[in-house]
Amino acid sequence: MAESPLNAIVTVPAVAEITEIKDEIEEVRTFYFSFDHPELERSFRARSGQFIMCTVFGAGEFAVSLPFSPENDRRHLSVRRVGKVTDGLHALRPGDKIGIRGPFGNGFPFDAIKGRNMVVIAGGIGLIPLRSTLVHALQHRADFGRIILLYGARSSRDLMYLSQIEDWRKTEGFEAFLTIDRAEPGWAGEVGFVHTLIEKAKVPVENTVAFVCGPPIMFNANIKELTGRGLKDEFIFSTLERHMKCGIGKCQHCAIGRTLVCTDGPVYTYKQLKTLGEQI
Amino acid sequence: MHILPKSGLPRLVEALGEQHELYGPILHEVSGDALFEKLADPAALRLDAPIPYIPPKAAVFPHFEEILHYAYDRDSKKVDIARTDLVRPKALIGVRSCDLTGLACLDRFYLGQEFVDEVYRDHRRRTFIVANTCLGPFPQCFCVCTDSGPYAVEGYDLNLTDLGDHYLVESGSEKGAALAARLGLAPAGADAAGRRDAAVNASIASFDPAARENKAWISRAVNRLTTGFVKNETWEYIGHQCFECGACSYVCPTCSCFNIEDVTPAEGPTGRIRTWDSCSFEGYSRMAGEHNPRRPIEDRRNKRFFCKLSYSQSKKYLRPGCVGCGRCARVCPGDIGLPNVVQYIRRETTGR
Repeated sequence: MAESPLNAIVTVPAVAEITEIKDEIEEVRTFYFSFDHPELERSFRARSGQFIMCTVFGAGEFAVSLPFSPENDRRHLSVRRVGKVTDGLHALRPGDKIGIRGPFGNGFPFDAIKGRNMVVIAGGIGLIPLRSTLVHALQHRADFGRIILLYGARSSRDLMYLSQIEDWRKTEGFEAFLTIDRAEPGWAGEVGFVHTLIEKAKVPVENTVAFVCGPPIMFNANIKELTGRGLKDEFIFSTLERHMKCGIGKCQHCAIGRTLVCTDGPVYTYKQLKTLGEQI
Repeated sequence: MHILPKSGLPRLVEALGEQHELYGPILHEVSGDALFEKLADPAALRLDAPIPYIPPKAAVFPHFEEILHYAYDRDSKKVDIARTDLVRPKALIGVRSCDLTGLACLDRFYLGQEFVDEVYRDHRRRTFIVANTCLGPFPQCFCVCTDSGPYAVEGYDLNLTDLGDHYLVESGSEKGAALAARLGLAPAGADAAGRRDAAVNASIASFDPAARENKAWISRAVNRLTTGFVKNETWEYIGHQCFECGACSYVCPTCSCFNIEDVTPAEGPTGRIRTWDSCSFEGYSRMAGEHNPRRPIEDRRNKRFFCKLSYSQSKKYLRPGCVGCGRCARVCPGDIGLPNVVQYIRRETTGR
């Protein structure tokens, strides 16, 4: 009989310790972790864009996309408190243990997009799964043309990773445009929906790839704007979230069209998404 | 090929019972229903029983199964976590070819894709299968339309074909051949294959002509489903007939979706429990935070028929996902068992 890929933890979660917890925005926290087993701590590798199944002992398991890049980036999860299991996670403190299976899924195709301009468009916590694309691009600055972040949220209190974005601005050629839905006192960025930044940032269409993640309405507005300007469907990437139980293509809860988000995704091109014939 | 006199069947069962838990068809003493169950009494085995209510998949993919357990002590930060492995070797005796084909689909899906389902693998590695040729169809049967019966060609350790006063025994694996040798079964005569073929042909001939006519339409339904030519109105009609009870998934030999939940009892470690699930349930695709990408019933309903008939799913099973056992048609309160769905697809094309 066949065997599963050797680098993935398939059935029994590996135990990891939460080393540090950081409050990001309301109901969203970042949990830094390291594996208890020293060999695994050394050898664990996840591609940018993959996800893991995280066990909160006593509460259950949930699928969560990885915000960190495989190289020179601390291992962490950024999670919004949204249900029973994530409630349990938010109740944990540094020193507590969690379980991890994975990594699973396809990841972002960086090799195929070398030499292009990269535009990352995120809404709210949609920046979490796209964070690693920016970290990767900034670490491999020479492999990309312009690197542009267009990031929007309802209010300034809903913007993730603000201090990191300020750090990234120090890299030459990185451009970040931030927007919020309604004006606020003291806000120096843009006001309006995030797709309006495409015009303001003069996002190039030639030789460009876009990564888009956020709520469905924001996603659709940005797709319309990008494709309307002539960006081809196959150069627009997104990463999907679905109800998942196994992560390894067996429970089938994450089926979309003829694909499973856990093994065929979670990263899809817009060209693929169009053929699936289902809601994002 | 060997001969097993009918009076010798208990010897075969007894030999399997030495190292296996025995499972097989029995008739419920009150209702008379055929059930495929763990045999409390090997003498209760009824190889002539009709298609069992729940398929033998339940023996290798239980309704309810603890896959691992853990205990976490927050004070000491100590975690004890381990696979729960209670799987004992099982012999499934009297598996009909539709259900055997169902197991083949589960094998290919659980063991043959990118990842291996280790829980299922542990069951299957310890399973001995004795298949049983159907000498005639039961009322709901249409395996002749789905290339899955009435005679099994692969996937068994031993196959029995009832030839009157004896069974013709065919070995399909080294395990099966070793058992036949150990029992000292007499070799079958030169005419055995011919007599078997005659019995199988007579069985096929006795299928209801309507079941046989559907054959062409099952392959056309595969084509239409795969290419998206089934009209939305047809799916809506089928969807509105659905009671969302999940019975079709429970009785289907190839339905394999499961749910997983961590359950902490009053005392003792938390168990990670996997249970059967059905894509017709509203909560199947609902995420934390109540977002549900798959809402209307017709959207959920057609998913199941895509799984049974579409080419993209067939690639995972290396055959269509329907094995023609007819159980869904028998249990569905909304009359949308798979044969009816094929008929609706036919009607929208031919008008009859």
